[in-house]
Amino acid sequence: MVNFDRFSLDNGLRVIVHKDTSTPLVSVNLLYNVGSKHEHPNRTGFAHLFEHLMFGGSVNIPNYDEPIELASGMNNAFTSTDITNYFITLPKGNIETAFWLESDRMLSLAFSQKSLDVQKSVVIEEFNQRYLNQPYGDVWLLLRPLAYRVHSYRWPTIGKKPAHISSATLDEVKSFFYSNYGPNNAILCITGNVETDKIKALSQKWFGDIPKRNIVRPDIAKEPKQTQQRRLEVKRKVPFNSIYIAFHMCNKLHPDYPATDLLSDILSNGKSSRFFQSLVKQQQLFNSIDAFITGDIDEGLFVITGRPVDGVSLAQAEKAVFAELKQLSQELADDYELRKVKNRFESTFTFGLTSATEKALNLCYHELLGDANMLNQVVKKYRDVTPNDIKRVANELFTQENSSVLHYIAE
Amino acid sequence: MTFRNQAPPLKLQGNFKFTPPQILTMPNGCKLLVVSQGDVDVCRVDLLFNAGSRYQNQKLVANGTFSLMSEGTAKHTSQQISEHFDYWGSFTGFGADKDYAKATAYSLTKHLDPTLDMMHEIVTCPLYPVDELNEWKRRRKQSLAVELEKASTKSRIGFFNALYGEEHPYGAFAIPSDFELIEQNSLMHYHKQFVGSKNCTIVLSGRVSDAHIAKVQSVFGSDSWGDAGQSNGNQIAEHQGNEQSVFIEKVDALQSSIRVGRKLFTRSHPDYPDLAVVSTILGGYFGSRLMKNIREDKGYTYGIGSYFLTFKDSGALVISTEVGEQFTQQTLHEITKEIKLLQNEPVGQDELLRVQSYLMGEALRSVNGPFAIADNVLSLFYFNNLDFEFYNNMVNLIKSITPNRIMEIANKWLQVDDLVRCVVAKSNPF
Repeated sequence: MVNFDRFSLDNGLRVIVHKDTSTPLVSVNLLYNVGSKHEHPNRTGFAHLFEHLMFGGSVNIPNYDEPIELASGMNNAFTSTDITNYFITLPKGNIETAFWLESDRMLSLAFSQKSLDVQKSVVIEEFNQRYLNQPYGDVWLLLRPLAYRVHSYRWPTIGKKPAHISSATLDEVKSFFYSNYGPNNAILCITGNVETDKIKALSQKWFGDIPKRNIVRPDIAKEPKQTQQRRLEVKRKVPFNSIYIAFHMCNKLHPDYPATDLLSDILSNGKSSRFFQSLVKQQQLFNSIDAFITGDIDEGLFVITGRPVDGVSLAQAEKAVFAELKQLSQELADDYELRKVKNRFESTFTFGLTSATEKALNLCYHELLGDANMLNQVVKKYRDVTPNDIKRVANELFTQENSSVLHYIAE
Repeated sequence: MTFRNQAPPLKLQGNFKFTPPQILTMPNGCKLLVVSQGDVDVCRVDLLFNAGSRYQNQKLVANGTFSLMSEGTAKHTSQQISEHFDYWGSFTGFGADKDYAKATAYSLTKHLDPTLDMMHEIVTCPLYPVDELNEWKRRRKQSLAVELEKASTKSRIGFFNALYGEEHPYGAFAIPSDFELIEQNSLMHYHKQFVGSKNCTIVLSGRVSDAHIAKVQSVFGSDSWGDAGQSNGNQIAEHQGNEQSVFIEKVDALQSSIRVGRKLFTRSHPDYPDLAVVSTILGGYFGSRLMKNIREDKGYTYGIGSYFLTFKDSGALVISTEVGEQFTQQTLHEITKEIKLLQNEPVGQDELLRVQSYLMGEALRSVNGPFAIADNVLSLFYFNNLDFEFYNNMVNLIKSITPNRIMEIANKWLQVDDLVRCVVAKSNPF
């Protein structure tokens, strides 16, 4: 059970406080409700580029990182399809430094041309390093637009292509800031040995006078139901063939989300899982195979990735995967197997709560979903899944019409 | 009125004290180190053996001996073993490093008993079934082949080859065909030689009670197990490298992978703490000189860092980055420039205070939670013969280092002519 207090400021900033007496450090997590799904299709990669610019100095503070280092802190951030998240871990006695810095960059950035130019270059190198200069690095650049036709999950967080990043202007950056960053579009969480009253006072002092912003952005189109299988074949300079299959699944708040997640665990979480035992060990068709869900807030993807054994064709491999999936939609998983994946889920979830930083992020994220206390109900929701749920969801998901298949062929 | 252009006052972090683990010598002579901490009911058990790849006569034997431990015993098949751990929600890891090998289990404390019982069986009587061995070879060969396609892997291997020589355990790397030569017998033999209570130290960490400690003692500490005697380290012949600049061609590279550095010394060397500070100033944190120059000023890279890598009998300073292919020359030039600057100009007080404060924070973060503390106990075991004062001394030295001492250290250990450079790129920058 993660206990917490919660309050809001008049400008709409939501604040969560979790007391953890086991650590001399505090974690300050600030989540902005903006991700790559909020971008314009011709300006992709912007939310992430913007995350970089948030470290380029704010209106009253020329350098963001140096004061944190002086305060014995460390900080970082990440951007996903749904959110942009900033976090700082520092000794409790220096907590006000975190409020000072985070509130100033929420108030306004320095918007320097030099910072924009440099960060465009840094992000393009990141694009190269992680997506273009790695074996199989461009898979998500191919799979997303295959699976999505209209929803903005059709491009990855890094963006569709480096050109979208290199052509960003300072005016666009400013307008992105004022239409996405503001107290009424953010959630703050503090974890550590702190008192809620003190956090209230600090929040009011540093964030209280930041005006509410008018959050405006493109509407996100709902992805229509896929009615026909989509296929793509590419040739690349990689050592081995690989196969990727994506199925559309429900959104994060849908009652079937836990069952869908457990379905992926039955298939591939741990060495006792079905894919590993059947396709890797018994049939020896794959050297590696994995099933996972993207975990997005809107309707996400259930993804299977596999690398077949030398001499096994991608067609054979694909057939074997579908046969395994068919079993789940035709036969009930037994109680033991379901209990096993639930135990494993509970264990992973519990280990995730050992770090104050993870707790802070998770509280913010569940508050964004609707209520931070949903964090405390997660395990129960997974425990409640029945073998019938698993079978029903497998039936809905694992159809040819609902699949996008990518054959990634070694040249 | 809130004055936004004024930083709130800071509390400098003065107090750091590494709390040693509870140390128990069990009836069979095996040492048990206990880190009892945390507010969540989880724990971790690490079994450490002096059994890293430095002791093997054939590549991949140490790794295979540990990786395949959980693939079958006299009582349980590979599948039954993974069912067991998965059912109890426990996570295991088995592997060998250069110096040490380790078997680890993470478990909810309420499921520690079944987790430990199976760990014991795996560690004491693995069978290394031939089918499992063949499957392991097939899979690992493929993943290694993919790994070797990466520019960053190529440059790491090229760099350590140049530093230690391809025959030295610290400079040796496997290639996919090495897997074909591994036989069941070699693994059985290696297990017999190195895995046993006389060659084992155990670390238990997490929210553990006396009952959990007693369980570890009864499973691993009562009778002696395994044939292995105590191994205290073999002699490794010194390599006299002469390659200072290594170029590895990768025709389709969008980025060049760069490693620059040199062979140094172990963590027990008196200059280690000061050189660790110098390495931090150079490239060890976001505000470091290399990050500021190569990333934040010039935008050549997504990241650049320098770190001090330690082995049991050596150590190395490594500067590592992936840069846009067109920036290779400039990056090498700027790295040299930054090192010379450290040698010739005293570090300003502001920067020194910042790096000291940052490192004090790192010290606190490194003991935040039971598993972080256990990691430090592990590295004290590996590199400092369990000298529990090491971190306290290190923190004191960090607080007292002077600009002159920094210049002295940079001059003593980072002469540009002593540096080895390895670049994987489209064209040769040397």
